[in-house]
Amino acid sequence: MKILGVSAHYHDAAAALVIDGMPVAAVQEERLSRRKNDAAFPLAAIEYCLEQSGLEPDDLDAVVFYERPMLKFDRILTCALRAFPRSWRSFPHAMKNSLGEKLWVRGIISSHLGVARRKILFTDHHRSHAAAAFLTAPVRDAAILTADGVGEWAALTVGHGTRGPGKTAINLLREIRFPHSLGMLYSTFTAYLGFQVNEGEYKVMGLASYGRPAMADAVRKLVKRTQDGAFRLDLDYFDFHTSAKRSFSDKFVELFGPPRDPFDPIDLATVDGRRFADCAASVQKVLEDILVDIACALHRETGLPDLCLGGGVALNGVANARILSESGFERIFVPPSPGDAGCALGAALYADRVHFGNPDRDIPDHPYWGPVVDAAALAGLARQDDQPVEELEESALIQTTARDLFEGRIVGWMDGAMELGPRALGHRSILAAPHTAQMRDRLNRDIKHREQFRPFAPVVPVEAADRYFEMPAGGARLARFMSGVFPVRPEWREKLAAITHVDGTARVQALERGMAPRLYALLEAYGRLSGIPILLNTSFNLSGEPIVNRAVEGYLTFRRCGMDVLVAGQTRVTKRVPAK
Amino acid sequence: MMQSLHRFVWRDAARRARKLLDFAETEADGGRDLVRAAELTKDPVLRRLYTVHAADEEKHAALFRGRGAELMRALPISSPAKSRLNWLTPGERGLDDLRVDEKSDASLLAFLHLSEKTAARHFGTYVDALRDDPSTAAVFREILHDETFHMNYTLAQLNRVAPRQRGLYLWRARLGRLWKAYLRIMAAIAGVIGSVLLTAQYFILIPPFAFLAKRAERREPDGWKQPPAERPFNSQY
Repeated sequence: MKILGVSAHYHDAAAALVIDGMPVAAVQEERLSRRKNDAAFPLAAIEYCLEQSGLEPDDLDAVVFYERPMLKFDRILTCALRAFPRSWRSFPHAMKNSLGEKLWVRGIISSHLGVARRKILFTDHHRSHAAAAFLTAPVRDAAILTADGVGEWAALTVGHGTRGPGKTAINLLREIRFPHSLGMLYSTFTAYLGFQVNEGEYKVMGLASYGRPAMADAVRKLVKRTQDGAFRLDLDYFDFHTSAKRSFSDKFVELFGPPRDPFDPIDLATVDGRRFADCAASVQKVLEDILVDIACALHRETGLPDLCLGGGVALNGVANARILSESGFERIFVPPSPGDAGCALGAALYADRVHFGNPDRDIPDHPYWGPVVDAAALAGLARQDDQPVEELEESALIQTTARDLFEGRIVGWMDGAMELGPRALGHRSILAAPHTAQMRDRLNRDIKHREQFRPFAPVVPVEAADRYFEMPAGGARLARFMSGVFPVRPEWREKLAAITHVDGTARVQALERGMAPRLYALLEAYGRLSGIPILLNTSFNLSGEPIVNRAVEGYLTFRRCGMDVLVAGQTRVTKRVPAK
Repeated sequence: MMQSLHRFVWRDAARRARKLLDFAETEADGGRDLVRAAELTKDPVLRRLYTVHAADEEKHAALFRGRGAELMRALPISSPAKSRLNWLTPGERGLDDLRVDEKSDASLLAFLHLSEKTAARHFGTYVDALRDDPSTAAVFREILHDETFHMNYTLAQLNRVAPRQRGLYLWRARLGRLWKAYLRIMAAIAGVIGSVLLTAQYFILIPPFAFLAKRAERREPDGWKQPPAERPFNSQY
C-alpha cells in the first residue's frame, strides 16, 4: 500500500511517502525550494518522494493531509466571534487568509496531483504529532504527550499508544484547547523578545541560560493552573487571539516592561539586556514546570516506563531533559522532526496502521529520509571554479578530515541522505573542533552570522557520552536526535569551551555507529588525534537560509563563508582563493 | 519636486533609521535570490558572478543594518515610530517578486539589469537628499558603486548568453516589471475592498453569533477536555 503524507500551509511544509508500512522518503519543502520555513503546498517535496520510488500520483492508494482544514477554520471563526468586537481588525485578515487556499485542501491536492478525491484523507493535527512520535519509536507501549501552538482546537494532548501484531492504536485521553497553549505562551515571549515567531524560539531558550527566573511569578500570572492539573492563559495579557499583528497586550507590557526592538542587539551588560534574559529564563522555567507536572501525572496514570513527545514544544531540549529527570519516565522518545514537518510522516503512518489496519512494522531509527548528495557533482563544480579537489579512499578521507579538524579548520560535511527535521544530525553538518571559545566566536562571526549568546551542539559516540556529559538514565536515547540538554561534566568544560553553554550545559547528540557510520569513524579518528572524540556539530546553512540539500548548495555555502574544507562522499574540496 | 519630496521623507531620523533597516532586509532577501540563481545556473561564469553579487547584497544589508542601528541608538528613547511613507516614495524594492526558478539565464540577467539600474537611480537620488547626513549618504554612495558594477556585468553577460536577443529580453523584463507593478496595485485594491466588505459583514452579520459564541465560552469549564471521538478519515471536519 502506497500512502503519501502531506503537511502544509502554516509553517514548514513537507511530504513523506510510506510504502507497505515503511517510510521510503520524507523531505521538507524548504530544503528543495530554498525558502526558509516554506509553508507553501509542498509540490517539490511530493515530486521528490514519488520520483524516489518511481511512482506516479495515480499509483498512490491514499494522500493524507496532516490536519482537518474545516475544523481549523471552525476554530479561527469561533475565536473571532468570542473576541467580538476586539477582533474587528484581525477578522478580515483571518478570513482572507483562510478562504484563499487553506480551506480547499482536497481540491488543491486533487488538482496538483490528479488523484481521485476519494483517495484524499485527513487526520487530526495532534494525532499526526502523536503518530510521528510514537509510530517511529522503537517501543510497543508508551504514554504520549504532544504540545504545540495549536492544531485544529487542541494545543496539548496526552494519551497512550500501543503497537503490536494485533492492532495499533493511539488513544488520546485528554486535551487542552486553544487559546490555552504552551506553544502560544512561548511564542508570545519570542515576539516580545524581538525574535521571529516559529523561528526564534531556539533563541529564547539560548537566552534563558543568561538570565535568572526572577520573573517566574509574573509569568505565572499569565498562565494559571486549573484544579484538574491543566492550565489556562489569562487572555488579558495576550492579543494573539484577537490581533494578527501583535501577540501580547498592553497589560503584558505593563507587567514585563517595553518589548525589545528586533533591530536592537541584546547587550547583556545593560539593564534591558538582563531584563530580557530574565524574561526568557522565567518563561522557560514556567514552561518546564508545567510540562514536568503534566508528564508526572501521565506517568502515574499510565504506569508506563516510556514517553513519546511530539509537537513543536518537544524541540525544547532543556524541558525534555527535565521531564526525563523528574517525571518518572525511564525513556523519552522525541522524533527528529517533532514539529509540523514530521506530521507528514506521522499522518501517513497513522492512516496506514489505523485507517487501513495494516500490520505494524518497526521503522528504521534514523532521520535520513531526504535526497542523497551527489559527490561527483561537487567535484565537477569545484573543478569548474579551479578549486583544489581530491577524491580520497574512505580511510584516507576520514584521517585527512580528522587532521583538518584537529588543526582548527572548519569542515562542511555532506553524507548520504538528508535529515528530516530542523537538526543537522551528521549528514548536512558543519563540523569543528569543540575546544575553544575562539572557535565558537569564529563560527558565529564568519559562518553562522548569528547572536553571540546562541550555543553550539556537540556530537559524541554514544559509548563515550557519559564520560563528558552528565547523562541521566535514558539520556542517551533523548540525545540520539539532539533532543536533550545535559550538563557538561565540570572537569571537561574548559576543554569543551566551544560547545559548553554559559550555564555549563550542551545539547548533545549521542551517536550510535549504525546510524551514521562515517561520522562515527570521524569521531573515532578525531579522538585518536585530540584525546577527545567530540566534535562541534552545527547545521550546514547560513543565517536565514535552509539547511543545504544538494552538492551545489553546499558548495556555494562553502564559497560564501569562512569554511575551510568541504567533504561530500569521497570528495574533499578546499579553498584556493576567496570568492571575490 | 521629487527631490524635495525625498528630502522630506529622509529628513526625520527615526524614519531614516527604519527605512535603512527595511532596506537591509530587502538587500538580504535579494542576496538569497542570487544565491538561488547561482545554485540553478549551469553556466560557471554566471555562477561565479551571481555568487559575488550575492556577497555584495549581503554586504549592503550589513551596511544598511549598521547605519540604521546607529541612527536608532542615537534617537531619544521617547521617539515615536514614524511611518516609512513607502507609499510616497517606494524606495528599495530589491529583487522582490523574483521567481528565480522560473527564469532562464537570459531573462534573469535582463531582470537583474533593470532592477539594478532602477536601484542605482534611486540611490543616486537618496545621496542628494541626504546632504545633511553625510554618514548615511556615504553608505548609499558605497552601495551605488557596487550597483554600477552589477548593472554593467548583467548587461555584458546578457550580451554573451543572448547576443542577438538582448533587446527582446530587456523589453520582456520591462513589461514583466510593469505587469508586476500592476498586479501589486490591483492586489492592494482587492485587499482593501475585501477588508471593507469583511469588516462590514463583521459588524452587520456577526453580532448575534458572537453573542452565542461568548455565552457558550462562559459555560465551558476550564482545564482538560475530552478529545472528540475520532472522525472519519475522509472528513475535513
